[in-house]
Amino acid sequence: MNIKKRFAKISHLLFVTVCLIHLIPNKTVKPDEFLYTLGFAVIVEIGLIAVCAAAKKPSTMNLPCDIAAFLYSLLIVWTLATSKFSLLKEMLFPPPGVVFKQLITDIPQLLPHIGSSLALVGKGYALALVIAVPLGLILGTAVRAGSAATYVSKFIGAIPPVVYIPYGIALLPSFRAVSVMVIFLASFWPILAATMSGVLYIEKRIVDSARVLNVGKFETLCKIILPASLPQIFTGMGQGLTVSFILLTSAEMIGARSGMGYYVKNYSDLGNYTRTIVGVLVIGIVISLVFFLFNKLQKFALRWR
Amino acid sequence: MSKIDIQNLSVTYEERGDLFTALSDVSFSVNDGEFVSVIGSSGCGKSTLLSVLEGLRTPTSGTVLIDGKPLTGTGLDRGVVFQQYSLFPWMTARGNVAFGIKQTRKGFTHKQRLEIADEYLEKVGLSEASNRYPSRLSGGMQQRVAIARALAMDTDILLMDEPFGAVDAKNRVILQELLLRLWQNEQKHKTVVFITHDIDEAIFLSDRVIMFTESPGTVSKDISVPFPRPRERAALLHSPDYADFRSNLTTLFFDTEAKIGETEEDWVVI
Repeated sequence: MNIKKRFAKISHLLFVTVCLIHLIPNKTVKPDEFLYTLGFAVIVEIGLIAVCAAAKKPSTMNLPCDIAAFLYSLLIVWTLATSKFSLLKEMLFPPPGVVFKQLITDIPQLLPHIGSSLALVGKGYALALVIAVPLGLILGTAVRAGSAATYVSKFIGAIPPVVYIPYGIALLPSFRAVSVMVIFLASFWPILAATMSGVLYIEKRIVDSARVLNVGKFETLCKIILPASLPQIFTGMGQGLTVSFILLTSAEMIGARSGMGYYVKNYSDLGNYTRTIVGVLVIGIVISLVFFLFNKLQKFALRWR
Repeated sequence: MSKIDIQNLSVTYEERGDLFTALSDVSFSVNDGEFVSVIGSSGCGKSTLLSVLEGLRTPTSGTVLIDGKPLTGTGLDRGVVFQQYSLFPWMTARGNVAFGIKQTRKGFTHKQRLEIADEYLEKVGLSEASNRYPSRLSGGMQQRVAIARALAMDTDILLMDEPFGAVDAKNRVILQELLLRLWQNEQKHKTVVFITHDIDEAIFLSDRVIMFTESPGTVSKDISVPFPRPRERAALLHSPDYADFRSNLTTLFFDTEAKIGETEEDWVVI
């Protein structure tokens, strides 16, 4: 690859645009903290150049370039609409630099909230996983396809778990316990249903092979049925994780005293929209990271496919 | 005493409300160390017969004796090779073979089992691919692994259900020769029941060919294969005796087929 192919990208042009629009005079009164915007853009650009310099074939550069182009475009529109032309209400839509500055100064305050949220999801989700997978494996081997158990699990699974929140508050001693219960219920049903259908649709050949090898009952469950249904189990786990985070943030917004959802709710109640946006960004980043790790785990566990 | 003794075996099962007789009064025996092929067109119940021998299906009536003892369910005295997709996809080639060894041969450490597995994978010519998952192996290679697994289990009896039926013609020949070589080289020959619909395959491999008719499936002919061992494919194919024998067998095969054609309406529905 020559230099031109490697570095002649629209992303870099957009980066220059991000820098140049700051020459336009501000319309807003408050400082727009443009150094933070530029700092963010420079970090992205350094990363992008590093990726492009290291890329062995052109196709590996596509995704990073597209992501960078998206971020730059967002910054341009955001900056122009706020500090430069004041198209949006300043109080509701702070310029990007202000948000970035707030994000950085709030990191020490945010970390305990993130920890609190992840602890809730971790507890509820892990509990669901530990119960739903073995139960699904046992039920799946015990019941026939299309029998009552599958319909029951479909029926209960169809109930949006948010509706359990008020009942949970009446039932359980603390709000954290309610959150764990709701997250547990939210992830339990998709994982159970997926595990059961995974077991029910294992190829007959696989089961026959295990039978002619005289594999014991317990070993069949652990070494044959479980890995054979793992692809479906992971689908259910992904669904469960998605619903868990929806429920987590909903629960935190209803009555928590900590957590990422609380952070957003609290500051929007107080009218601090800069921090509200910071909270939304942080939630996005944290959930994306969790799913990134989840996908890595899934890819590793199903590497035989 | 015969290794496998099948007496008046019948299998009837229900299919969409109708009772269907898959096997009717099947009797034959297989001697210790004998290679027997069961040949017949698809739907003649030959695979049902094998599933009874595997212990996966209980016969409606009749008995199967192995070493004089009645067969009850699956057992570790019998190694099985299915037509395809019988490997566990989440285990490597080596893992699959080692898993089979773990089931039948006790008293080995995990490491020793892997060593035995490698030894057998080398025998089937798959040393290079031992760490690959079945999804990264061709159909023929998968069958090699399945054969390695069955042999490594070191059972007296080998049950093979059209093991090369889904393999392309060229690989089928290679696999037949491989199987024959491995079987002949064993110090104590395994007793093999081999299901096929390929006449050449049956002659080349077996000591005896048992022909099945369909509806209901039962033994129509029991023919000894006269060619001496060790057999060599090229020499065998060019001998005039082979051509005669094959043509006789084909005639018999199509005679039974023709009879079926006449009675096609007579599906036994009870």
